Amino acid sequence: MFIEKLTGALMMGLLLLTGFANVQAAQQNAADPVLVEQIRDAVMKELRESGTMDRAVDAGISRYLERERAEAAQREQSEAGKRATALRPVVKGRDHIRGNPDAPVTLVEYSDFECPFCKRFHLTAKKLVDESKGQLKWVYRHFPLDELHPVKARKEAAASECAAELGGNDAFWKFADRFYELTPSNNRTNIDKVLPQIAREIGLDSAKFASCLASGRHDRRVTEDQQNAVATGGRGTPWSLIVSKSGKIFPLSGAQPYATIKQLVDLALQDK
Amino acid sequence: MSRYLKYLMIAFGRVFAYPSYILLASTCAITAFLLAVWFPNLGLIVQIFSGTDTPLTAKFGIMFSLLGGISTNFSPFSAAYTIAIAVLFGFTAAMIVYLLRQRRLAAAGRNIAISSGAMASGVLGIGCAACGSLIAGAILPALGATGALALLPLNGEEFGILSVVLLFISLALISKSIAEPMACPIAQPTTAQQP
Repeated sequence: MFIEKLTGALMMGLLLLTGFANVQAAQQNAADPVLVEQIRDAVMKELRESGTMDRAVDAGISRYLERERAEAAQREQSEAGKRATALRPVVKGRDHIRGNPDAPVTLVEYSDFECPFCKRFHLTAKKLVDESKGQLKWVYRHFPLDELHPVKARKEAAASECAAELGGNDAFWKFADRFYELTPSNNRTNIDKVLPQIAREIGLDSAKFASCLASGRHDRRVTEDQQNAVATGGRGTPWSLIVSKSGKIFPLSGAQPYATIKQLVDLALQDK
Repeated sequence: MSRYLKYLMIAFGRVFAYPSYILLASTCAITAFLLAVWFPNLGLIVQIFSGTDTPLTAKFGIMFSLLGGISTNFSPFSAAYTIAIAVLFGFTAAMIVYLLRQRRLAAAGRNIAISSGAMASGVLGIGCAACGSLIAGAILPALGATGALALLPLNGEEFGILSVVLLFISLALISKSIAEPMACPIAQPTTAQQP
């Protein structure tokens, strides 16, 4: 675009010069096409040889790239802004938090208990929190993918909420750890057997657990988490948001390697 | 089958005798692989690179570490077909360019069409198929086909397999076009008797 403008400007200059030359020539004598041609060539030669044209083109390209970069950054900021607005704030009483609740960096994970990649990511996130020396907290939210894991993923999410209701935050995390340890993922979990078994193993009252699960009272909360996952940009699981103290968000899709998440956490820690 | 294998060997011998085609195939294959692995996190990459407060080493460190996603965010099966798609795409692209430079436009056009179908299918199969972060997972519900992926036995990984098959077909046809002589066959003399 800039090059077109520059060419236009040069052409205009040439026309003016040509016009000027023509006027002079007309004043002096009749119009001399040879003289006009000579002036035009001389101007072009001067522009080329002095490097003026190259410098102008370079400067124009630089300005264009700078403008493009700024626009991309602005678009991304606007996306990040939407995400930050959509992200439901972390609340101690409501959310399941692992690690130091006052940690400056938060990893909010939206997860599906039947997803094999969530199972893998669970171990990575656990390792990161354990090694963070209180700098990172992990918040677990539900994102059951009904299209891929109908019934089971949602039921398992509700079961984990029952564990939290009956045994608190610790019971939730014990449930999640044990669930991922025991189950094969991808709809192959025998939920009628495994859910009561885990409840027993982590010391919950089996009757109360069964009654809570049958009541469906946590279904709404699971749906709210799922809606929040979609609102923040989640399209699959695990979907994670790494949030710095100032509220800057780094979105991460999938079970990415430890090294990636560690670097993002370090970046978030630098953002005061 | 053995005829196509022969075509393939002849075509490979002709095309990849030139280092420029090896370079082109490698570039296309690497680009396809990088896009496949980075695809789920393109938003993050744009955010990190557009940010001015992130050191350059951190930017490249994150991009590089995301490549490890091929082992953590893909099943062994989806990782295998993603790599296969990238490699086959590289070969196909280089051989189509060879055909174009030989001015065999009809053969090139037909193969470009097949390869485009293969790549479209490959893109649909990219991502974490088991967990819905593939493009098909976003497109199908929009088409009113929610739950369609669960009906597929491999939850969408079928698109990846289809892509590999189409790319193979394309490669075989391109090889045939390259290996066969660029001349019209001599018409067989008719043996019909004159009345």
